[in-house]
Amino acid sequence: MSTDGVAIRAVGLRRAFADVQALAGIDVQVRRGEIYGLVGPDGAGKTTTIRILAGLVDADAGDVSVLGHRPDDGAVREQVGLMPQRYALYGDLSVGENLDFFRQLYCLPWREASPRIERLLELTRLKRFVDRRADDLSGGMYKKLALACALLHQPAVLLLDEPTNGVDPVSRRELWELLGTFVGQGMAVLVSTPYMDEAERCHRVGLLFEGRMLAEGAPGRLVRELDHPVYVVEGSDRARVTRALTGVAGVRAMSPAGARVRLVVTPDGTPEVARALATVDATLRPVRADFEDVFLARVGADDAAGRAA
Amino acid sequence: MRRFLIRVRAMAYKEALHIRRDPLTLYIGLVLPLIMLLLFGFGVSFDIDHIPLAVVDDDRSPESRALVDAFTAAHEFERKGSLDDADAAGDVFASGRAAAVLEIPEGYARALARGETAEVGLLLDAADASSTTAALVRADAMSRLATARVVASAVPGMSASGGLPVSAATWTRFNPAGRSALFLVPGVTAYVLALVAVLLTALAVAREWERGSMEQLFATPVGRLDIVVGKLLPYLAMGAVQVLLVLTAGAWVFGLPLRGNLLVLAIAAILFMLGMLGQGLLISVVTRNQMVATQASTLSSMLPSMLLSGFMFPIANMPWPLRALSHIVPARYFIAVLRGVLLKGNGWTELWPDLVALLAFAAFMVAVSTARFQRKLA
Repeated sequence: MSTDGVAIRAVGLRRAFADVQALAGIDVQVRRGEIYGLVGPDGAGKTTTIRILAGLVDADAGDVSVLGHRPDDGAVREQVGLMPQRYALYGDLSVGENLDFFRQLYCLPWREASPRIERLLELTRLKRFVDRRADDLSGGMYKKLALACALLHQPAVLLLDEPTNGVDPVSRRELWELLGTFVGQGMAVLVSTPYMDEAERCHRVGLLFEGRMLAEGAPGRLVRELDHPVYVVEGSDRARVTRALTGVAGVRAMSPAGARVRLVVTPDGTPEVARALATVDATLRPVRADFEDVFLARVGADDAAGRAA
Repeated sequence: MRRFLIRVRAMAYKEALHIRRDPLTLYIGLVLPLIMLLLFGFGVSFDIDHIPLAVVDDDRSPESRALVDAFTAAHEFERKGSLDDADAAGDVFASGRAAAVLEIPEGYARALARGETAEVGLLLDAADASSTTAALVRADAMSRLATARVVASAVPGMSASGGLPVSAATWTRFNPAGRSALFLVPGVTAYVLALVAVLLTALAVAREWERGSMEQLFATPVGRLDIVVGKLLPYLAMGAVQVLLVLTAGAWVFGLPLRGNLLVLAIAAILFMLGMLGQGLLISVVTRNQMVATQASTLSSMLPSMLLSGFMFPIANMPWPLRALSHIVPARYFIAVLRGVLLKGNGWTELWPDLVALLAFAAFMVAVSTARFQRKLA
């Protein structure tokens, strides 16, 4: 175990599949007692990163250490819990049978594991469904069962690949609360998500886009330090505003916000955007940035830099 | 070691639950073998009887009628009318009214009375070669019998074999009635076992890849060997039940005997199944897809086990490339053991080379498939 509290350390990870560069050299560090969010759209490289950290895929280049060892080291596997993105439990086995199967794979004696299983069933509120086949669970319940299976051996490192994908909002909140409980006990959690609003539930996040890390830090700090002003366009309708702003260089990102348009504008682009909007009698109203704006600003800047290059 | 056993038990128990809850697996494993045994045992029979026979009797004597009676008495040939002359044989063959024409020339009775060899002709429709061969054997036996009877009655006191124009004698041992069920059941056993073992393992492992549970398994400390052994054990047990089931049914329905060393048979069955399970594992590790795995396992187990194993076609009659190829078909050795133990009463002395071949194949398959089975997703 490393002494500085770093549970996961990855430097310069690269991996290509055929001619697709899934990861183009990323660094990730996760400390114990920390939830690290890997945030990015589909195809950003989140799953590849998690699989490399779980020892399921080899990196083409870069250094990985989990709890001070190579991730495919047998001793590390005893300390790592993985919840894959896909449905990976046995659908024809019941909730209880799935839990018991993983208990035995980790060679946990029944006496030790039984109170844990009780507690996990309690926390996930699956106790009533212990005899139900996994295939017959709702999406949210299934994910909670998968989480319970990944937590059964009390891992020091927990890797979660889009745990809230396809889960209703109530179950989503429950899952995050569960994670909070375990992180409080010193677990290092790396969780990937395509949902920007979930980033704010993490201690630190990495913005992953096309295999590159666009930004990293505490979500609150990333929002505070955003140098792009964010506005909602008042007056006029969305279609006219959209037409008026097409091709305006100061617009970094444009997204619908109800009947209006939300804009992320380049640091010095406000006058230009305001002029363009004047032609359709619309004005800018400044609003507080959120994490999604950070993401849009970073991706937009990245695109612009790519075009310039 | 203790952890290995715990994990293997966990894998095996889980797999047993899958088997128990999947009607298709149970059907393929336990019902299909019996259906195939009955199909092959009853349906695919090389036993020939009721061959439609047309008669051209130019002699019209009591002796010639006695010969026709001798042909039809045992129901092996069934009389289907008379023809004026043998030239009409082509027409009856073409129309399918008869598959054999017995021609008794004028002077048959006279020749018999003089103690000369009486000649009769038997024309056979050879479109179906194996039936023709069987019919020939029957006809030969019958004509000798008939002649013997005629000679014995005409010349009292003369030994029956004395005047027979015998040039060759066929002597079948171990299966004196030449019943094809006895010959086929051991072959069916190997064939069914090969098909089912390869198919079920290939499906079981490919399913884990396809469903994504392999990813979850690989993230746990469970080892490759734990997975392989744990997965194979339940299917090995199922295979043992299959062997017992098929042999019991074979004995019960077809009167299959058991004359030799049962232990040799049991060991051969286990080795054979291990090899087949290893082959299924290899297929699923390479394909990682149930659909492709199904086709690959059916082809790779069914065809060689049926065509190159001696199950239906004697290996000795094959052209040399096929004969050479048959050496790597494990069913060949298992069928040899089955026939040896069941029909011939063989034991270790005769069958050890087959056991060694089966062991080599099993070791090779399990080793290669475990080596190819990497704990990596990509």
